Amino acid sequence: MALTTQRVDVPVIVDESKCLEKCVACIEVCPLDVLVKNPDTGKAYMKYDECWFCLPCEKECPTNAITVQIPFLLR
Amino acid sequence: MNTQYLKTDFLVVGGGTAGTMAAIKAKQASPESDVLILEKANIRRSGAIAMGMDGVNTAVIPGNSTPEQYAREITIANDGILNQKAVYETGRLGFEVIQELESWGVKFQKDHEGNYDLKQVHRVGKYVLPMPEGKDLKKILSRQVKRHKVNVTNRVMATRVMVQDGRVTGAVGLDVRSGDFVVIQANAVVLCTGACGRLGLPASGYLYGTYENPTNAGDGYSMAYHAGAELTNIECFQINPLIKDYNGPACAYVASPFGAYTANAEGHRFINCDYWSGQMMLEVWKELNSGKGPVHLKMYHLDDDTISEIESILWDNERPSRGRFHQERGENYRTHGVEMNISEIGLCSGHSASGVWVNEKAETTVSGLYAAGDMASVPHNYMIGAFVYGRIAGQNAMEHIQSLDHVEPDAEFLAAEQARIYQPLQQPEGVPHTQMEYKLRRLVNDYLQPPKSPNKMDIGLMKFVAYEQTLEKMGAKDPHELMRCMEVHFIRDCAEMAARASLYRKESRWGLYHYRLDYPEKNNEEWFCHVNIKKNKAGQMELFKRPVEPYVVNVDLEEEVYDVAVR
Amino acid sequence: MQTPNMDPEVAQWVEMLQSPELNERLVAIKSLQHLGDEDAIEPLIAALNDESPTVQTLAVTTLWELANPVAIPPLIECLSSPHAEVRDEALSALKELVSTQDLMKLLDVLQQEDAHAQLNVLVLLRKIHDAQALPFILPFFQSERPELREAAVTTLRYLNQVVRCEPALALAEDPVESVRRSTALTLGHLSDQEVVPLLCRLLTADPDWQVRRNAAQSLELLADPAAIDSLVAAMADPEWQVRKFTARALQQTADERAIPALIKALSDEYSDVRRDAATALGNLGQPSTLSALQQTLDDPDMDVRIYSERAIVNIQASQSETSNA
Ligand SMILES: Cc1cc2nc3c(=O)[nH]c(=O)nc-3n(C[C@H](O)[C@H](O)[C@H](O)COP(=O)(O)OP(=O)(O)OC[C@H]3O[C@@H](n4cnc5c(N)ncnc54)[C@H](O)[C@@H]3O)c2cc1C
Ligand code: SF4
Ligand code: SF4
Repeated sequence: MALTTQRVDVPVIVDESKCLEKCVACIEVCPLDVLVKNPDTGKAYMKYDECWFCLPCEKECPTNAITVQIPFLLR
Repeated sequence: MNTQYLKTDFLVVGGGTAGTMAAIKAKQASPESDVLILEKANIRRSGAIAMGMDGVNTAVIPGNSTPEQYAREITIANDGILNQKAVYETGRLGFEVIQELESWGVKFQKDHEGNYDLKQVHRVGKYVLPMPEGKDLKKILSRQVKRHKVNVTNRVMATRVMVQDGRVTGAVGLDVRSGDFVVIQANAVVLCTGACGRLGLPASGYLYGTYENPTNAGDGYSMAYHAGAELTNIECFQINPLIKDYNGPACAYVASPFGAYTANAEGHRFINCDYWSGQMMLEVWKELNSGKGPVHLKMYHLDDDTISEIESILWDNERPSRGRFHQERGENYRTHGVEMNISEIGLCSGHSASGVWVNEKAETTVSGLYAAGDMASVPHNYMIGAFVYGRIAGQNAMEHIQSLDHVEPDAEFLAAEQARIYQPLQQPEGVPHTQMEYKLRRLVNDYLQPPKSPNKMDIGLMKFVAYEQTLEKMGAKDPHELMRCMEVHFIRDCAEMAARASLYRKESRWGLYHYRLDYPEKNNEEWFCHVNIKKNKAGQMELFKRPVEPYVVNVDLEEEVYDVAVR
Repeated sequence: MQTPNMDPEVAQWVEMLQSPELNERLVAIKSLQHLGDEDAIEPLIAALNDESPTVQTLAVTTLWELANPVAIPPLIECLSSPHAEVRDEALSALKELVSTQDLMKLLDVLQQEDAHAQLNVLVLLRKIHDAQALPFILPFFQSERPELREAAVTTLRYLNQVVRCEPALALAEDPVESVRRSTALTLGHLSDQEVVPLLCRLLTADPDWQVRRNAAQSLELLADPAAIDSLVAAMADPEWQVRKFTARALQQTADERAIPALIKALSDEYSDVRRDAATALGNLGQPSTLSALQQTLDDPDMDVRIYSERAIVNIQASQSETSNA
C-alpha cells in the first residue's frame, strides 16, 4: 500500500532563528512527544500532528522560539 | 531493537497525579526499597495536571464539611452504586493530603485570615477549593519524587502487566523513542495511567482535541483487564459540558464565584448546580435539544475588572490555551457567551465512576496489583482522590511485598507480547494508526453516545469485536507510531467493554451517562448493584452483578434523589 | 565553583554556565533546571547576577523549583531588579517560598527607597499574615504613589488580629478610586466606630460604582442595623451589582423598612438581584410579601424560582410558628 504525503496545517511553529542547537527543553517536556530535532539543522520542529495545545513546550523554551496555535480543526 | 531488563520492588505505571504520590508514599513507608516510576511522557509535565489545576473539586476541610457529609453527597450523586467505604477514605484523608501538598509548596486559595477559601459548587456543602496559583503542581511533585530518591524512567510505555501463578510479577513495555522492549520485574505494581480519554471522537474530528490529556488512552483499563482484574461501572460514561470545539473546561467552578453562570440561549439559568454529574448532563442535553439551546457560560453581564480577573486565572492555569482559542476567534467574554457543548464519551472515575475495581486499600482483584486515580473505580474522585489513592496504594504495596521475591518472567509470555507490539513495524506500509483510530472512535460515537439504543449498541459491539482483526492491518514506521498503535488496541478494548456493560445493565441510571431508550427508568429492584467485567479462563469478556457493599454512612436513597432542576 | 563530588552531568552544565556565549548559558541553565539537582544551588545563585536578564529569570525559576531556603535572601534582592521580568518571577517564587521566618528581611526592604521592591513586599506580607508588620505598613498610607497606598490598605486586611486602624479610614476619601475600592473592602474587617457611617457614605455617595459595590459587601459582613437607611437607598442604585450586594446585606439585617425596595427588586432586570431580594424577603418573614413572591415562581431564571420558593416556605413556617404560639 502506498502512502501519500499530504500537507496539514501545523499548529506548533518554531522560529528557527531563535532555536538553540544544544537545547532540548521543549522536546523533553511535550507529553505527546510530537517535537523532535531536525538532524540537519539542529532546530526543533513538530514531527507528528498530535498536539493537545497544552503549552509546556512554549513555557519551557528559553528563547521564546515556539508558538502554539489552536489546531486548525478546532480554531 | 534491544531488550532492557529492569528490577524493582514496587513499580508505578504512570507518573501523573496518583503515580507520583504513590511512589513518594512508598518511599516514605520503606526508604530502603527500590521504587520505579515508568512514564510514557516525562513526569515534569505529564497527565491531567501538566499545567496545573483550577482548583480542588473535592476538598473535605474540617470546620466546613465532614467525611460523612462527603460520602453522603457522592452516594446520592452516584445514584447509590459505589463502594462507600472507598469514597469515605477520600473524604477522610483528603485534608492530610492538602496539608502535605501545602508543606511542599503547593498554594491553595486562602481568605484574608489565612483560612481555606472554599466555594460551594455541589448541591450542598462547600468542597471546591480554588488554586489560582496551581500551575506548578507537577514541578513540585517532580521535586518531591527526586528528593525521595524514587527512580524514574521517562518515555517508556507499559503495554501489559505480568501475572504468574495468580500474583503480579512485573510489567512489560516499549521505549517510545529507542523502540526497546522493556521488561520490569516487580513484586507489586500500581496502575495510575489515568482516564480513557480517547474513546469517543470529538465533534471537531481532531483525534487529540480531547478533554483528557490524550496520552491517557485507556491503557490501564485494558492492561488491568488482560491481567485478569475486575472492572466496574464501565457503562457509567464520562461526558462533560465543555467549551464547544475547544473541548476543555470553561470553567464554571472558577467563574461562578465571580457571578458567571451556565445559561440557555435566552440568558436564563436552567440548572441550579454547576457540579458535573450525569443528572446535570441530562438537563444540559435536554436544554440543547429544546428550542432554548444552545447553552453558554454567561459572563457578559459582569464588569470589565471582574472579567479580567476571571481571564487571568483561566488563561494562566490548567488549560492556558483557552485565551488563545477565544482570541483567535475574535470572541470576548465581555460581549460573547462561551458556547458550551456536550463532549464525546470517555471512561474516568475521577469525573464519573468507571474503573478498575478497587477496595478501600486500592487493591484490585489480582494479588499485588493496585490501581489509583482516574482509572480506579472510586467515583467522583478528581484530583484529591487521585492523591489519596496514590498514597493508599503506595503504603499498602510496601506492606504487601515484604516477604516476596522476584519471579523469572515467563519466556513464552514475553515472546508473545514482543510479537504483538512489534507487528506493525513489520508492515510499515500498513494502515496508519491515525486512520485506524479515527474510524474506531467514529464508530464509538455512532453506536455508544447516549441516549443509548439497544439495537445500535448490538451493532457497535459486533463492529468492535471485528475490529480486533482490522487492527492487524495497522502499520508503523517508527517507535513513536508504534506507541500510537498500541494505544489504538487499548481504545478498542475499552470500546468493547463499554458496549457490553451498557447492554448488560437493563435500566437507566446516572442521568445521561447511562440513559437507555428502551429502559428509561431506574430499576432498583434488579439493578441496585455493580456491573463488573473480567476476562474469564477461556479468555472471554464475562459480565456479572456484584452487590453493593453495605454503607458505612446511612443514606436514604428513596428520600434523597439527586436533582439539579426544579419542576 | 564545583563541589568535589558533583555528578559529572551536573558539573558539565555548571561549567557551561560560565561560558561567555549567552546561548550556551541559556542551554546550561535550562538543563540544570530539568535536572533539579541541589548541588547546583551555589552557581545558580551566582547566575542571578548574570549580565542577561533572561538568564537571571531562568535562575530565579530554577531556584524556585529547588525550593531551598538558602535562596530566599538572594531572591528577595531580585525584587528590586531593574528588569520587570526578573522582579515578577522573583515575586512569584517568593509567594511560594516565604514564611514567617523571613518577616524581618522583608520589612528591611520596605524601608529602602525602591517603589518596585516595596510594592512586591507589601504583596508578600499577605502570605505571612503577621500583625508585627503593621507599623511598617502605616507610612505607606501617605505615600505619593497611589499603587503603594492601595497595596498597603489591601495588605492591612490580611494581617491577623488587626481590628482597629484609624489611619486607614482617611483613605476612604482618597482622590484615586482604586485606593477607595480597596479601602471599602478593608473597612469590612475593621471595627473602629466610624467604620459603618463611613461605609454608608461610600455606598450612597461615592461616584465610583465599584467603591459602592465594595461598601455593600463590607456592610454585608458587618451586618450592622445602623446601616439600614443607606442600604434601602442603595437598592435604587443605577448599577446592578450594587443592588445585588445591597440585597445581600439586607439579608443580614432584617428590617421592615426595606420591604418596598425589596419587592420592587423582585422585578429587577438582573436575575441575581431578583434572587437575592427574594431571599432577603424570606428572612423578614412578613406574610404581606407572599403575593409578590408568588409572582416570581414562574421567573424565567431557575435560581430565582428556587430561592423565591424557599423564601415562601420560610415565611409560611414562621407564620405557623407564630399562630401556634
Ligand atoms: C482539563 C482537566 C481539568 C481538570 N480540572 C480539575 C479540577 O479543577 N479539580 C480537580 O479536582 N480535578 C480536576 N480534573 C481531574 C483531575 O485532574 C484528575 O482526576 C487527576 O489528575 C487524575 O490523576 P491520575 O493520576 O489518575 O491521571 P494523570 O495525572 O493524568 O496521570 C496519568 C499518567 O499516566 C501516564 N501514562 C498513561 N498511559 C501510560 C502507559 N501506558 N505507561 C506509562 N505511563 C502512562 C500519563 O503520561 C500520565 O503521566 C481535571 C482534569 C482535566 C483533564
Ligand atoms: S502544546 Fe503540548 S502537545 Fe503541543 S507541542 Fe507543545 S507540549 Fe506538545
Ligand atoms: S525549547 Fe526553544 S530553543 Fe530549545 S529546542 Fe525547543 S524551540 Fe529550540
